[in-house]
Amino acid sequence: MTADTSPDPREPDDWVEQALRREAREHRDEYLDDAGFTARVMAALPAAMEIVPRWRRPAVAAIWVAAAAGMALALPGVALDVGREAFRLLATHPLSLPQVGVTLAALGVGTWVAAAWTLQRD
Amino acid sequence: MASPPDSDAALIARALVQDDRHAFAELVRRHQSSVRACLRKLTAGNHALADDLAQETFVLAWRHLKSFRQEARFSTWLYRIATNCWLADARKRKEELLGDAGGDGDDEAMAAALGEATPDHARGSALKMDLERAMAALSEGERAAIVQCYHNDLSHEEAAYVLGMPIGTVKTHILRGKQKLKLALAAWAPQP
Repeated sequence: MTADTSPDPREPDDWVEQALRREAREHRDEYLDDAGFTARVMAALPAAMEIVPRWRRPAVAAIWVAAAAGMALALPGVALDVGREAFRLLATHPLSLPQVGVTLAALGVGTWVAAAWTLQRD
Repeated sequence: MASPPDSDAALIARALVQDDRHAFAELVRRHQSSVRACLRKLTAGNHALADDLAQETFVLAWRHLKSFRQEARFSTWLYRIATNCWLADARKRKEELLGDAGGDGDDEAMAAALGEATPDHARGSALKMDLERAMAALSEGERAAIVQCYHNDLSHEEAAYVLGMPIGTVKTHILRGKQKLKLALAAWAPQP
């Protein structure tokens, strides 16, 4: 902005003011017909998200817990044997620090991918 | 007896809480004229572009409805989104044109407006046309400030909210804009 265009509030500019006000009044009085505009906007909105009932998640979790408990009860000793064998395998197998690191990283990545996939689906 | 129409606040609440698209459609119907007219002014009469930007405005409003805190009127909030859409589009176009056109575009446009303003036309519509042309030659800030304060009849405070700038800057933009309009429309000035 140059010094030439700097405002001088003392300078009367009523006729510009009047022209702007007159034009603005006409503009405000003018109503633009919708002519399908609202329909176009509504069609452009993102798709509605599926509303998940509040009871669904606890119900799904409860079903999984019940299924796991049912299996443990139906096959007594199996869970204990699997756990014991897994512990023995880990305890007897010599693991280096990098192997532990890689295993933990793989578990982390797997968990993250599963969580991201689940959130994306929701 | 017909029930009174829902307020904007009631429609917004329905759209938010119940994901009620009919309520939002009613809001669009209610405000489309003013938003489109505002954008037509900002785009210097480019109706197609104004309607595209108006559509973008309402889609953004729907996406960010949760962030509307009722600190301003809903229409003012829409003007704010519309102005931001227009500014983003104007900047994008300016960047695209930067390689093609040299010199100061504002000055060239203003010079064109100055040259074409003649008092030989039929006064009413000719002044309107010249005013539109001169408005198009103003800087983005000046044009936006004048459109918000005159055409949308907002206070300086509301215009500052819409434009995201201090009140003092809004007043400066208006003063400078009017000075430029006065120069561009000098042929229309009443003779002393």
